[in-house]
Amino acid sequence: MTTSSPAMGYDLQRAISPNRLVGLWRMMTGYRIKYITATISLGIAAVAKTLTYMLLRYFVDNYFVSQTASISLTLIAIGFVLLALTESGFTFLSGTLAAQTAEGIARRLRNYIFDHIQKLPFTYHDENQTGELIQRSTSDVDAVRRFYADQAIGIGRIILLFAINFAALLNLNVRLAFISIVILPLIVAVSLFFFRRVSKAYESYQEQEATLSTTLQENLTGVRVVKAFARQQYEINKFEQNNWEKYLRGKRLLKMHSLFWPISDTLCGLQMLIGYLTGALMAINGEITVGTYLAYAGLIVWIIFPMRNLGRIIVQLSTGMVSYSRVMEIIKQTREPLDEGSYTPQTEPQGHIRFENVGFTYADAETPVLQDITFEARPGQVIALLGSTGSGKTTLVNLLPRFYEYTAGHIFLDGIELNRYPRRYLRQQIGIVEQEPFLFSRSIRENIAYGVTHAVTDAEIEQAARAAAIHEGILSFPDGYHTLVGEKGVTLSGGQKQRVAIARTLLKNPRILILDDSTSAVDTETEAEIRQALQNLMNNRTTFIIAHRIQSIMNADLILVLDHGRIVQSGQHADLVSRPGIYRDIYEIQTRIEVELEKEISSVN
Amino acid sequence: MSTEYFEEEEFQSKFNGQTFRRIVGLITPHWKWVLGFVITIMGVSSLDSLFTYLSKRIIDEGIVARNAPVLINILTEYGLLTIVQAIGVFIFIYLVGVLGERVRYDMRRALFNHLQQLSLSYYSRTPVGWIMARVTSDTDRVADLVTWGLLDSTWAVMNIITAMGFMIYINWRLALIVFFTLPILFIVAVEFRKRIVSQYRAVRKTNSKIVGAFNENITGVRVVKALGREEGNLSEFNTLTNEMYRASYRAAWLSALFLPSVQLISAAAVGSIIWYGGLQAQTGTLTVGGITAFVSYVTFMMWPIQDLARVFAEIQHAIASAERIFSLVDSQPDISDRPNAVDPGTIQGDIEFEHVSFTYKDDTKEVLHDFSLYVKQGETIAIVGPTGGGKTTIVNLLCRFYEPTTGVIRIGGRDYTQLSMHAIQSRIGVVLQTPHLFSGTVRENIRYGRMDATDSEIEQAAQMAGAHDFIQKLEKGYDEPVGEGGNLLSTGQKQLISLARAILARPEVFIMDEATSSVDTLTEALIQRGMETLMNGRTSFIIAHRLSTIKRADRILVIEDGRIAEIGTHAELLRLRGKYYQLYTQQFRHEMAAAYDPFETVSPVQQKPLGV
Repeated sequence: MTTSSPAMGYDLQRAISPNRLVGLWRMMTGYRIKYITATISLGIAAVAKTLTYMLLRYFVDNYFVSQTASISLTLIAIGFVLLALTESGFTFLSGTLAAQTAEGIARRLRNYIFDHIQKLPFTYHDENQTGELIQRSTSDVDAVRRFYADQAIGIGRIILLFAINFAALLNLNVRLAFISIVILPLIVAVSLFFFRRVSKAYESYQEQEATLSTTLQENLTGVRVVKAFARQQYEINKFEQNNWEKYLRGKRLLKMHSLFWPISDTLCGLQMLIGYLTGALMAINGEITVGTYLAYAGLIVWIIFPMRNLGRIIVQLSTGMVSYSRVMEIIKQTREPLDEGSYTPQTEPQGHIRFENVGFTYADAETPVLQDITFEARPGQVIALLGSTGSGKTTLVNLLPRFYEYTAGHIFLDGIELNRYPRRYLRQQIGIVEQEPFLFSRSIRENIAYGVTHAVTDAEIEQAARAAAIHEGILSFPDGYHTLVGEKGVTLSGGQKQRVAIARTLLKNPRILILDDSTSAVDTETEAEIRQALQNLMNNRTTFIIAHRIQSIMNADLILVLDHGRIVQSGQHADLVSRPGIYRDIYEIQTRIEVELEKEISSVN
Repeated sequence: MSTEYFEEEEFQSKFNGQTFRRIVGLITPHWKWVLGFVITIMGVSSLDSLFTYLSKRIIDEGIVARNAPVLINILTEYGLLTIVQAIGVFIFIYLVGVLGERVRYDMRRALFNHLQQLSLSYYSRTPVGWIMARVTSDTDRVADLVTWGLLDSTWAVMNIITAMGFMIYINWRLALIVFFTLPILFIVAVEFRKRIVSQYRAVRKTNSKIVGAFNENITGVRVVKALGREEGNLSEFNTLTNEMYRASYRAAWLSALFLPSVQLISAAAVGSIIWYGGLQAQTGTLTVGGITAFVSYVTFMMWPIQDLARVFAEIQHAIASAERIFSLVDSQPDISDRPNAVDPGTIQGDIEFEHVSFTYKDDTKEVLHDFSLYVKQGETIAIVGPTGGGKTTIVNLLCRFYEPTTGVIRIGGRDYTQLSMHAIQSRIGVVLQTPHLFSGTVRENIRYGRMDATDSEIEQAAQMAGAHDFIQKLEKGYDEPVGEGGNLLSTGQKQLISLARAILARPEVFIMDEATSSVDTLTEALIQRGMETLMNGRTSFIIAHRLSTIKRADRILVIEDGRIAEIGTHAELLRLRGKYYQLYTQQFRHEMAAAYDPFETVSPVQQKPLGV
């Protein structure tokens, strides 16, 4: 991974802290100098602005009121432009630095979460909902970004503006300075009160917007139902109700806004008026100069009006902090270490696997999912697992790539305890073809090459596709191997998906294979092709087949019949058929079906 | 909500008189409101300039003249005007804001109502996401333009004009300097705004890609792990976040540069005013108050300019949005009632397809060729055959979601295009392959079949559909919410509810597209029973997948390549040893194998569709 930005490698788990402000400060690692510089720049810009008013004071007092200026008019004019240049320059600098910080932190956070999620163990993903995870990785990250981009610096800006301008006011006249802020606490309080309530009203408005969208979406996706029951009018009424409710909530929100702004305007205006009156009277009485009054009248604006926004920023700040916590919920989970392991062979394994009294129990569960599993698979052998849903078949094979860690007994791969191998090594050596293979929304070619890290030639891809009996099928698509799969491209049938997954696994060329035999999801014409493709795949590989039907496993070297997490029968087909038990029952059904079919057909003749 | 993933279209539109008239047409019904806020904002913006002028008078007539009574008079005036302005602010925020909500509401209502009239063909060629974007974000953009956009530009223009008036009044020579900088300010602001707007679009686009990447990585996490793709994925994602960084940084950079640039230009103007004003001060033609007023006018001039620029930059996108909205409103339903369409009160009677052919609009391939079929009142027809063979087309034609390209469909001996759509569709009960439920309670979803049904009728329908038992076991029974699209229920439960819905509707003709998806055996049996109830005595068309359904039919239609390949009873077709025979034996083996599963407890049975 290459990136131009520094501090990309910072481990965000170190930013975990029960104190959210501390956590947010730690999250800035690598960007602190930038952010502090951004704040300082803001201060310099504020000073330049204040100095502009001071220069105005000098100009008025020495050019208008009395002509005692020692500095030339041209210089003063240039001074104004220079101060403006300073102010705008540093404002710009502060803006860019803050953006670099916020965007940089957001990028690091996005990358980290993305990587974190794909490295969290199966057990985590079993328990968490996709929608929730996406929400946290996108909207909440964006809220954290805004915390740095707008809110933290926004508060800094208000404080700096206040401090610098108030200091300038003190310098002009102490009494005047204090009179200028008498109503200020009230303004801040009103603003806080208002924005707290407005954020609630806004949420309820947004909620209604979501309801409205749902109504619309359900109507659009269910258009056939609407038409079939001729319910157009009902739908119109339903939408109308939701739409009107949204209008009402919008109205409520606006009523608040239309009250807040004029009220706060009036308060600010009152504060200014008090200042103007005092200042002007002092100027008339000669306590301050005309220039001082002018400078004062300019500065006071920069003390009062920013305060009105304090409420908004404080309320937003709290949502930013909530989002920080939500993001950290993910980050504080422990990743599964891919490379941890005391034994990493440089070569491929032979594929000799031995289970000894293996058991598996979920962390907070009591009843084990697997118990007392013992068997041996020699290199190249085919092991079939037969059993109902929930019998433990899938869990058993999931132990091999260490998706789950067995909690009892031993598993040996080539004589070495399985958990001494790094997960990455095992996963490289094990190929999985799932019952409902997941394809990514990219081209078919990319999907086939998905499992290999090195560059792959077109010839290799085609070879894999041919062996998976999908080459012809792919060529029939408009863009051949470059056809996009999924939402924005073509929809593949279950059988096609499966064969693409087989090609993907063939190209990966693993020593150990796990097949979820799912030909039941596929139509008969392609069943034969898939069977052939699977045969090609199983060649010379230690294979575990999760079977649903006997035909596909009759030639297996070892058949394990599982029930409630235990092996209830094991052996080869011929052997199992000769003994009473579940296996023979299943087998006999097959013959019975044919007999019944015959009966069925002859009955119509 | 899936709309998030729907990428925004990138197109701008040039100014177009007709579109503009239609946009104006959106606010004309509320012209009083518009007039109200335009007048208020004019007043408020003039007051802005007046305040600056009052500040000048405070200095010149109060301070410099050392006249306290005059000062107090001016300040009183100032205070009163502040209150007047506050009232004005209250009025315009309320008027424009509520009007904005109202325009949004109006547009959405019009769009939604229109959408209900459009034919199914429109939906089959228009993605849901596209329509959603029209109804949501496009209406927002247009509503904002005609309310806040109009407000902002009125405010800006008035503000500039009144400020100029005062400036000319104070000193016309100095005012000329300001006039000179105005166009520069405006052009710079517009150019900035345009770039910022398009940069933010790039950010949004990249963001939707990032959401997509997260979505895929989370849903496919097991495959990612199994294939050890973590590093590859991260580096791909890193390109995406880099793209995002660049786009957002550029947007932020432009925004950060924007204000200082504008400030700098006005500072240059301020500098010239000071310099020129200082010279004039010696001659006494410009007062202290005058010069400070000028400085204020110029300094605050950048806000209206900014607002104008913003409206200007958004206007093209808003017009493009309006055009898309209007194009939706203008689209005509492909199928509508004929001028003299009647509702005979019933559609019972024989149904006849006579030489019906059908080609989808915008397509050249005929999907149904010369299809003829006579169905007696009360008959049950099972339709089987491969996907894409034309089964669904037959059903769509019968429901009059589409009309035949050539040929006639007769109901009760009458060409069905003579009847009203409502007459047909309100009497046909349809159960779709993938059951669609609406957010709301179970009861509401069943009631969808007949809106005036009583609670006991609903329960009766549920009982007949075999849904009553599971509904009662739900925590809130019939008042249990089903979730968005019914996602809190299982597929089988959704099917049972949609059956109950159809039963409640008491249709005269029953159409069912049998589900191929897996449900457990018990639910399967319940569904079968419910279907039987519905088919009883009604003309029924079933796109069938299960043997029991097929065998129960009076006649079986094997449809292939848009034609009837075989037709007859189960026994007749089996004896033929043709296509039906093949489909049947195949399905028989599958169903039996599933039925005799020795592990079978409540495990889902993977049902295979007949002849996919």
